[in-house]
Amino acid sequence: MKISVKKVFACLLMSILVMSTVAGCGGASSGSGGSGGTKILFIMTDVNDTFRATLSDAVLAAGKAQGVTLDMVETGDSVQDQLTLITEAKSKGYSAIILRSADANTAPQMNVASNDLPIIYLNAEPINDHLTADKYIFVGSDEYQAGQYQAEYVIKKLNNPKSLNVIIFQGEAGHSATIGRSKSVKKTLKAAGCNANYVFVDSANWSDAEAKEKLGIFMKTGQSVDAIFCNNDTMALGTIEGMKEYGLDYTKIPVCGVDATADGCASIQAGEMSFTVLQDAKGQAASAVTAAVTLGGGGSLKDIEGATSDLKYVYVPFVPVDASNVSQFK
Amino acid sequence: MGDMEEKKVKGAKAGPQKKKKAKKISTKLLTYIVPLVTATVIILIVVSFRLASTRMTEMATETLESSISNQADNIDAWLSENLTYFKTVKYLIERDEPTDENLQLVLDTYYGFNKNSPEGFYIGTSDGKLYKATESSIDVNDVKNSTWYQQGMSRVDIAYGTAYQNAQGITVVSATGILNDGDPGIKVFGADVPLNQISIIVNSGVKMKDASSFLVDTNDNTILAHRTASLVSTKLSDSSSDALLSGAAKSINDNDFTTKTIGDYMVAFSEVSGTDWVLVSYIPTAIILMSLMQMSNLLIIIGIIAVLLVVAAILYVVRRVVAPLGHISENITAMSEGDFTIEVDSSSDDEIGLMGSKVSDFVASMRNMLKSISEESEKLQEESYNSDRVSKTMYDASQSQAEAMQQLNETVDQLAKAVNDIAQNATVLAGVVADTRENSEKANQSMKDTVEISKKGREDMEKLSTAMDGIEQANEELVESINKVGSASEEITNIVSMIGEIAEETNLLSLNASIEAARAGEAGKGFAVVATQIAKLAQTSAESAQNISNLIEEVHRLIGNAVGQADASARSIKENSELINVAVGTFDQIYTNIQDSNQLIEAMIEDVGKVDDVATNVAAISEEQAASADEILATSENMVDMANNITRSSQDVADNSHELASTSATLTDHVQQFKI
Repeated sequence: MKISVKKVFACLLMSILVMSTVAGCGGASSGSGGSGGTKILFIMTDVNDTFRATLSDAVLAAGKAQGVTLDMVETGDSVQDQLTLITEAKSKGYSAIILRSADANTAPQMNVASNDLPIIYLNAEPINDHLTADKYIFVGSDEYQAGQYQAEYVIKKLNNPKSLNVIIFQGEAGHSATIGRSKSVKKTLKAAGCNANYVFVDSANWSDAEAKEKLGIFMKTGQSVDAIFCNNDTMALGTIEGMKEYGLDYTKIPVCGVDATADGCASIQAGEMSFTVLQDAKGQAASAVTAAVTLGGGGSLKDIEGATSDLKYVYVPFVPVDASNVSQFK
Repeated sequence: MGDMEEKKVKGAKAGPQKKKKAKKISTKLLTYIVPLVTATVIILIVVSFRLASTRMTEMATETLESSISNQADNIDAWLSENLTYFKTVKYLIERDEPTDENLQLVLDTYYGFNKNSPEGFYIGTSDGKLYKATESSIDVNDVKNSTWYQQGMSRVDIAYGTAYQNAQGITVVSATGILNDGDPGIKVFGADVPLNQISIIVNSGVKMKDASSFLVDTNDNTILAHRTASLVSTKLSDSSSDALLSGAAKSINDNDFTTKTIGDYMVAFSEVSGTDWVLVSYIPTAIILMSLMQMSNLLIIIGIIAVLLVVAAILYVVRRVVAPLGHISENITAMSEGDFTIEVDSSSDDEIGLMGSKVSDFVASMRNMLKSISEESEKLQEESYNSDRVSKTMYDASQSQAEAMQQLNETVDQLAKAVNDIAQNATVLAGVVADTRENSEKANQSMKDTVEISKKGREDMEKLSTAMDGIEQANEELVESINKVGSASEEITNIVSMIGEIAEETNLLSLNASIEAARAGEAGKGFAVVATQIAKLAQTSAESAQNISNLIEEVHRLIGNAVGQADASARSIKENSELINVAVGTFDQIYTNIQDSNQLIEAMIEDVGKVDDVATNVAAISEEQAASADEILATSENMVDMANNITRSSQDVADNSHELASTSATLTDHVQQFKI
């Protein structure tokens, strides 16, 4: 009997859920207009960082290209300001919000405040649980892909080695980029049949100095190294510095970074760093606007390129950068 | 209920042949309601089972995912807690850079402080030295080649490595890192966490009832913790005979950490952050669905009870309501079998009593009715037999009438044809007679002309006779004349002979003259020429006299002929005269005869006129007769049709009355079945 009551309760809950979903859908569709008159609110923290500046410019350009009204507001690090903007967005006639969250952990609060407007998170990724299919989604690049490109580059460069002594300099411990980029390096090497010996795997906290210092400690262990993977360009640059100091040949030992920063690109051009990957700001911006228009019009991510099957993410591919194409990104 | 009763009464009225197996009202209600209720209950059970099944699976998935996420967090927290502790100690050592003595003291101090790492801390150096707590049972022969040293050499930040079996035969996971104390040599700082300690944490951390978990190191797929102790520290292989283990291995290798059903289990995966470990939680699907089964069993039982209750309720209600109707029902059953001798109980004072009294009334009236029906039907039967017979007779009669009519029709037909022929003939006759009359009138006229002509012929004949007499006289005169001519011609002959003698003497004179002229010589020559001329004349005169003599002789002979001829003519004329007289007589005869004929013809013409009138009349009359005959024919044909109709009708009447007879017989039979 107890179980039966549970079932009944479950059924009740389910019917309520179905009804509320139906009601919710009705509300959403009545609240959204066609793409012609689509108004999108773009909330940005700031454009002090080169990447963020590029990104916000690209978002505005994409809005123009797709013929939608796109209003950009800079909030700095104020979560409160972001919350106010999002709360008022619906009454101001916006049909979707593109948000560079000041703190991705506030996503649940923002989702509730949006009054059912879809939110496209950009650049700062909330955790999976805080995203909802076709409603609160993240547009960005798959961190996993960055590491995969690094590993693929090294395998190719070193002619499919059977074994490798590998150093990985990681970013901040527990950071999603750190985990994704490091894990994919290991997985890709393993999948390629390369028996990697991880002679040194440690966090250098995104810092060039720390990377250089850790390389020094590694040198003390007296082990040899064949390839160095860094979770970002800064650490890769520190590694290059260290290699110069400790007499390691970076022309033979490839050093890979991520982000394709100006320094990183310059280093590649100078023949020091071997490889980096570019986060495609334009691609992310275009996808974010497309997703905003689509979801704002009551559509689904299904038909958008790069959307994952759970309809919570739109991934924009990283772009591999090496000596052959670095000049395009400087 | 009222409906049911009415149905029964109707059944009784319909007669015994409509008898079918009487079903109880309760049975009927049950056959209608029970399947309905059962179907509803089954649909309810199926629908709720489906919904519950879907929802249960979702709930179980959510619970399992929530459980595993919670557990992973717990393991993470446990590991972090330990790691933080290890890091703190490491940091202290790095900061203080203690002497060997102090280091030993530090290690001894922390020994036993953390129950999760019972052997305490240890430090191995690149020159093969090992520092450890005095009481620690850790024993290492070759520090530099020991697993933990190798692992620790790859990082400064202390972190967990992969599982291995230490010198004491205990499977442990070491948290190790390079001691960054600025010394040129390498010192690896470490602490061991026995796997069974982790197993306890994993096995006791499951938040979902009946679910189990195991922990896998994805670096080498070692099972770090498992409820089955024998599996701990073995490798998780996708070729394992255990469907769950192989399935989990496959998922881990594919980096696919979505919740799925593997074999008989629902399996969830969670990566333990900060490590390469994956926690796998599983629960038998049977357990998830067990409550569902219980629920459905319960629902089925409730359904069956509900159906049984409905059956019981129907039976009770029907029995309660229908019982008093039993008696009436019996009576009605008797009635339906034709027994109207029954007495209906109408003592009750409710609707059923009313029903009883009404049924009683009905029985009484039925009784009367049946009686009169019975009588009437007998009469009817008799009458219908009579009617049948009569109609049969009528049929026969009308059939013969029809035949007679047919014959009459044929006769009239022939008659009409005959009359038509007569009419035609009479018309022709009338035409012929008219022609004849015309012809005989023409004949009459001709006859009259003939009479006239014959009259004239007689007169002419008489004139001819007179003329003939004249001719006879003239002929006699002619003969006389001719005879005178004869006498005259003899005189002429005499004269001519004298002329001849004169001519001969003249000729002799001329000859003498010529001889004298020839003597006279020249003087005589002129005379000689006259003398020759006279000689010639005398000769010619002699010849002419001869000719005339010949001619007269000829005339003489001709007259003789003419006299002969005239005599013959006289005789012919006499004969002609006689013949003519005969002809006159004949003419008279002819005339008289023609006169008679004329009179006869006139009489005939008169008669023909009469015949003409009669024939014309006959033609008109026979035409009228022909028209009448046609009318008669048409009429008689109608009559034939009518006679045929009558025959058919009388056949129908015969049939109907036959049927009526049998119907009334049946009716009688039926009515006789009622007992009254």
